[in-house]
Amino acid sequence: MIERMDMLKAIAEKRTDEVVVMTMTTTLQWPLVSKHDLDFDFLAFGMGHAADFAMGVALSQPKRKTIVFKGDGGLLMSLGSMITLSKYAPENMLIFLLENMCYEMVGGQEFSQSVNFEKIASGSGFEGGGRTGKGKIEKIDNLLELENSLPRLLTEPGPHFVIVPVQNNEELPPVNHSDHAERIVKLRTNLLKSD
Amino acid sequence: MSLGVSAEKTLQKLKDLQFTHVLMIPDSESRLLFEVLEKETSIELITPCREGESIAIAAGLWTGGSNPLIVIQNTGLMEAGDSLRGCGMGPRVPLRMMIGWRGYGGAMSNKLPIDSAYTYTEPLLNGWGIPFWHLMKDDDLEVMDKMNKTAEETSMPAAVITGYTFKE
Repeated sequence: MIERMDMLKAIAEKRTDEVVVMTMTTTLQWPLVSKHDLDFDFLAFGMGHAADFAMGVALSQPKRKTIVFKGDGGLLMSLGSMITLSKYAPENMLIFLLENMCYEMVGGQEFSQSVNFEKIASGSGFEGGGRTGKGKIEKIDNLLELENSLPRLLTEPGPHFVIVPVQNNEELPPVNHSDHAERIVKLRTNLLKSD
Repeated sequence: MSLGVSAEKTLQKLKDLQFTHVLMIPDSESRLLFEVLEKETSIELITPCREGESIAIAAGLWTGGSNPLIVIQNTGLMEAGDSLRGCGMGPRVPLRMMIGWRGYGGAMSNKLPIDSAYTYTEPLLNGWGIPFWHLMKDDDLEVMDKMNKTAEETSMPAAVITGYTFKE
């Protein structure tokens, strides 16, 4: 189990020009460790679809890694996405599934505690899958292993589906999101001007 | 003029409009269009599991600089409401859609019972404020240009709706 802020700090320290798509509670904490032109807050853009959106970005921007922080509750909202990602996700896509086995954003209500996300990813065909057959599933449950794995994850062809069991003992900042259209136009503009 | 649109002529229109990707789940009426897209190399066909995915993937493709088209049956459109709100109208993403109007043919021939998928399609689009045009035969294909231009100019989703099965 990794403290979520430690995870986010470790990734922010190694991240350079990757797109970062985040949703739910990560949208509250990632801005505490990152202020980057290619950060994208997906909250309220469509329940359960952050990784789908990120896959679209990754397909359009093949020279740049796209990272997505996806919640486990969100994954359950669009479980079919795992099949789609397993077939089409490109090599430049890195998915972190933040596993806390509950709907933290709305009060921490538990969903079925029998869910096994590794088996879901495996059963979806993610291992050896993706657009070019290089899909990999990993589970990282301590900070040192995450820190050691990041240089590889950020450079190695994927797609990667990395399950990270997390907890959070930090007080969450209040929700304060900017205008949806402004958010997406800013990301698009920053991506296209750097092409 | 026979009803229904040629799949090959539709494909040529999609190429003329320079669509880069088509997000599409097969259905009975659009099967022939799916088949010609499968063989086409200049447009990438992506087949998600459910239509909410199609819309989110299309929004990501547009954000990254691609030009996607969503081909979706009206039933899938109804399923995908939150995704369309969140990735389309809310953030003003100019999603281009071709919507299969299941139930239209039956309703026009007074075949009972009327498919509720037919009944709610136009009111739903009107309620969401999505402009749309009917694409019922080959001569109507120019509405694709209007749909495309309107999406671009308004930076909002726009659609054509097809009432009949695609033909060869």
